[in-house]
Amino acid sequence: MQPKTTEQDQKSHRYLDVVGVTKSFKGTVVMDQMNFRVAKGELVSLLGPSGCGKTTLLRIIAGLLEANTGDIVLGGRNVSSLPAHKRNISVVFQNYALFPHLTVAENVAFGLRARGMSSADVKAPVADVLALVRMDSFADRPVSALSGGQQQRVAVARALVVSPDLLLLDEPFSALDRKLRETMQIELKALLRSRGITAIFVTHDQEEAMGVSDRIAVMSNGKIEQFAEPSVLYAQPASPFVMDFVGLSTRMSGRVTAQADGIATVETGVGAVRAHAGYTVGTMVQVGVRPELITPDPSAEMNQIKVQLNDVMTLGSKTVLHGISSGEDKFLCELSGIRTGYARGETVTWGWAVADTLIHEVAA
Amino acid sequence: MNARSDRIALLAVPGLAFLAVIYALPLLLLLFKSIQGVDGLTLVTYIDFFSDEFNRTVLWRTLRVALLTTLLALVIAYPTAFAMARAKGIWLTVFLVALVLPMSLGVIVKAFAWSILFRSNGFINTTLQTLGITDEPVRMLFTETALVIGAANVFLPFMVLPIYSVIRQLNSSLPEAASSLGATPWFRFTRVTLPLSLPGVVAGSAFTFSLAISMYVIPSLIVGERQQTLSMLIARSFLYLRNEPLGSTISAVLLVIAIFVVLFSSWLAGRLGARQ
Repeated sequence: MQPKTTEQDQKSHRYLDVVGVTKSFKGTVVMDQMNFRVAKGELVSLLGPSGCGKTTLLRIIAGLLEANTGDIVLGGRNVSSLPAHKRNISVVFQNYALFPHLTVAENVAFGLRARGMSSADVKAPVADVLALVRMDSFADRPVSALSGGQQQRVAVARALVVSPDLLLLDEPFSALDRKLRETMQIELKALLRSRGITAIFVTHDQEEAMGVSDRIAVMSNGKIEQFAEPSVLYAQPASPFVMDFVGLSTRMSGRVTAQADGIATVETGVGAVRAHAGYTVGTMVQVGVRPELITPDPSAEMNQIKVQLNDVMTLGSKTVLHGISSGEDKFLCELSGIRTGYARGETVTWGWAVADTLIHEVAA
Repeated sequence: MNARSDRIALLAVPGLAFLAVIYALPLLLLLFKSIQGVDGLTLVTYIDFFSDEFNRTVLWRTLRVALLTTLLALVIAYPTAFAMARAKGIWLTVFLVALVLPMSLGVIVKAFAWSILFRSNGFINTTLQTLGITDEPVRMLFTETALVIGAANVFLPFMVLPIYSVIRQLNSSLPEAASSLGATPWFRFTRVTLPLSLPGVVAGSAFTFSLAISMYVIPSLIVGERQQTLSMLIARSFLYLRNEPLGSTISAVLLVIAIFVVLFSSWLAGRLGARQ
């Protein structure tokens, strides 16, 4: 379901080329033959639940962890055998890892000093980058006196001042409260874009990934399930895992009972559902639909299911109807604005366009 | 301070009372004795003590031995503490046992074991001669060198453990952040790990120096009467010379040095801590 890519795209995506990376810990393979490409200037997220291997991949790219096999090629240079300090890849750590014994300015200057610049020569670039993240008035403060958002700005400044070939960010927003997080996301994205930085975010938060990245690699069990633009991930998830992990959905399992004219008919616990697909009759599938595409007032040619309401949540900008789930089948409908007239326990009919149906084969 | 933390402060009362009666009170009596003359208070014992060249030699030797012991222990302890902080599972246990077990072995046993090692027909001299490095046995027993080596050995755990606990608590992403910023292992060590481990170094050095400056059993056994230290002078004054004012005076001198070490190390630790 990924969008078609031309040969030109393939080439331009090759700024960072992770080729056949395999990693095992104590005999357990956590990453098998990973391939992963990023274009120059692209903002990419590795998205997945904890333990999916996203941090492992980030650490391997940074050189903080050694892969068993495979290559990391950055800007045409194979950096696989280089130690972290020779890769020119900056990392923003989850806890920011600011040096507690140094001031804000000294923290930012660290990478330049490590490259042999004198303390006089680092003054100008440090001041510039601190101004960029609006932390110039804090230059001489100890880092322990900073708030979470300020610490993050310093960590970003410290990572950017050395003009890295690649910036890696490990859950950079997870230590911030929700409101601050959104502000920082917008700020950071603008900053990275303006400087043309190629960056990879590691996150378990799908909203964050969709907010900051051009493309998202959804990971599970050491594999990339799908690597695509946020809109494609949402509208055309490649697997039940992606559909579940990215966004919310109404979904139910069933069996294909008829296949004709490019339309599969699936018998589910709540009625027959049609989808644009080609399966042999008898195949076990999961069908689903995004909750905002569901209407409580369906027309005849739509898919229709009967759902008993479990809860009605009035959220202001939208009203969310929860149906009673059964097993893995979940029922969720989002209506814009405030809607009244729904009662818990009531059975309602939901419908959606056949073309909006998502369908994936599942193990029987 | 709210009422609750005031009540919690009461928990320190038993400890403070114990220290006051068993430590502070006898010490004050001792100090009083050092300035108690036949008719009123006097500093004559102090003047006598410092005007005697032998005493000044002993004082200087005591300070020198304590300093060298601290330095030797630090040089050996720092890499050890580093390795321990990185050790896991069984290896950490091995390290800790190797460090703590010798403490349970009395100093007397160790001292006699060393004399087998250090004496003129001992293991080291035999080895040196067999290898042809020396013709004559090297005199090691009853020397200051042997004393420093022995003392550093006994006090090593007091240097290793504080440094170990500080390095152990270092955020492991700090050296990683340094590497990703382009720092070579040496730059990373000198600019990040070493400065952050200094509080442990200060604490360990203060422990070791305080112990080394007041040690009595180790020098008595290793160097005997030939190379006396302040503690041995104190013991001699009280036990053999029955000169309580002299013994009290030397004790006071030792106490002043100890207080200075404690204050200096707290100041240093505070200064290092303030930056973090």
